[in-house]
Amino acid sequence: MSARDQILGKIEPLEPIKHPGAFQGASEDFDFQASLAVVGARVVTSSELEEIFPGRRRYDKTLDGLSLAEIEVLEIDGEFGVAENGAIWLTEEAMPHRVAPFICQHLVINVKKIVPHMHAAYEELGKVKSGFGLFLAGPSKTADIEQSLVIGAHGARSLTVVIRS
Amino acid sequence: MLSHSEASEKFISDAERTDWHDETLWFVRAKRDKASKVLPEWEAMREHASQIKDHTLANLGEYLQAFEAKAIANGIKVHWAADAAEHNAIVHSIIAAQGSKTIVKSKSMLTEECHLNDYLASKGIDVVDTDLGERIVQFRNEAPSHIVLPAIHLKKEDVGETFHQHLGTPKGNKDPQFLTEAARQHLRGHFLASEVAITGVNFAVAETGEFVVCTNEGNADMGAHLAKVHIACTGIEKIIPKRADLAVFLRLLARSATGQLITTYSSHFHKPREGQEMHIVLLDNGRTRQLADPKYKNSLKCIRCAACFNTCPVYRRSGGHSYHQPVAGPIGSILAPNIDKKANADLPFASTLCGSCSNVCPVKINIHEQLWFWRQDLMEAGLAPAGKTIGMKLMAFTLANPAIYRIGGSLLRRFSALLNTSLNPWYKQREMPEAPKESFQEWYKKR
Repeated sequence: MSARDQILGKIEPLEPIKHPGAFQGASEDFDFQASLAVVGARVVTSSELEEIFPGRRRYDKTLDGLSLAEIEVLEIDGEFGVAENGAIWLTEEAMPHRVAPFICQHLVINVKKIVPHMHAAYEELGKVKSGFGLFLAGPSKTADIEQSLVIGAHGARSLTVVIRS
Repeated sequence: MLSHSEASEKFISDAERTDWHDETLWFVRAKRDKASKVLPEWEAMREHASQIKDHTLANLGEYLQAFEAKAIANGIKVHWAADAAEHNAIVHSIIAAQGSKTIVKSKSMLTEECHLNDYLASKGIDVVDTDLGERIVQFRNEAPSHIVLPAIHLKKEDVGETFHQHLGTPKGNKDPQFLTEAARQHLRGHFLASEVAITGVNFAVAETGEFVVCTNEGNADMGAHLAKVHIACTGIEKIIPKRADLAVFLRLLARSATGQLITTYSSHFHKPREGQEMHIVLLDNGRTRQLADPKYKNSLKCIRCAACFNTCPVYRRSGGHSYHQPVAGPIGSILAPNIDKKANADLPFASTLCGSCSNVCPVKINIHEQLWFWRQDLMEAGLAPAGKTIGMKLMAFTLANPAIYRIGGSLLRRFSALLNTSLNPWYKQREMPEAPKESFQEWYKKR
């Protein structure tokens, strides 16, 4: 008997318990910019961005995974931000390669839309439209050495967010 | 193998380090409190998450099949493994087909449970753990001591010395920023070169056939997106029904684990990227047995946040290695006896039954009750430590016989030295109060 049949054969249905449905009663009072500060991202205006990163690269489909390792600053578009935790939803369609937001040294993300919390975020996402997507909140970080926070573990060393209305 | 109490005795022999360990983990617990209390809906979310998990476990077979069908339709190869040996063989066959000799792996307690690294090493395959904490303990030939903070038992001096030996960093340099940068450079080379990447799974969604992996460092993604082959290893209990359910779990997970608002990266793998092979291995390894037991099935609701570790007065003062299991702490102590009752008979006793673990659990697992259930089962099966069995029988006999209770009490009050012997572990490393001159009963009669 295959492992699949063995495993499924051992699982007896238990007494039915209903799925509780969508979560109700989430707070709405969150500030996206304050959350971005908590997760270690900085917010700048588009003119400030020109000054800080004049030589940044934009989305370019010719970049493959390995050539992205050479990129210092990459700018991509996020679909929307989440106010409660500063996370930004990104999909592979907006990146040259799935590894892009991780492998570049510094990351810039443009955000146009903001939803209050994760429940609203999944409502916004609706059905799966992309082969890969992620919530990204701030630069890569670790506290694995004595709980000291270090920014820039394996992924981008900094995250700069431009809120464009 | 040392029992939990024997290993703990060694751990606490360094009082300063024990205090540091205790305080550091309590600090993480305090961050969890702060992050949860800003949400008035926190308790409602715990209840909601608990109900989703109850519902899922009640229909696990159906949800697993739904997940499988969707994942296959997405182009993901789905494998089933009844036990650790089968899991390891599947992973090896995928790597062997690729011909790789070195592969990268992000954090997965399930692969620790299966001893995958040792197995692959025996087949000539070198596994590079890419989570910083895991890489540190891997260099030191140790196991992770905490499922979220794998190197929490180490001080920065230890890490500095380890990196000096393995990565050639300057001797004596213990700056976390500097050491993390050294690991970044070292591991980047492996990410760029590796053709196979293994990751764990935080949630697998039945509705969509996608799986979600959460990290702060970005190591899972660096590995998975650069490799030709991505193997994700998961226990069958990681299934959740709907994509929208992720909202409540992602809100609870990082806040419970480290007090963060969310992990830096919450990656949703739905389809392999063009030209990539994506595999998912679904492991049982005793989980169906746990599911069939009404007393213990709730332990399968665990989302591996480790809040119960950080709050546990015993874990904080005994260290993860004392539990001699990949998953330590209170949750590990109720999971491990299911896999091997005899080898882990000491773990359910490594608790004060204070219940703090159950109070912080984001999916409301009755951890302290299950610890108590296991104690009863182990006593009945004759697997409890001999001293404990004799002690319990003596105590039960005494409490059931008022005369013996009174005589025994008065004897021990007069000759309290009788208690302070090497046979009585309660007197070890403790200052005990003097015995009173008279019992409550004697005092009451005199009034």
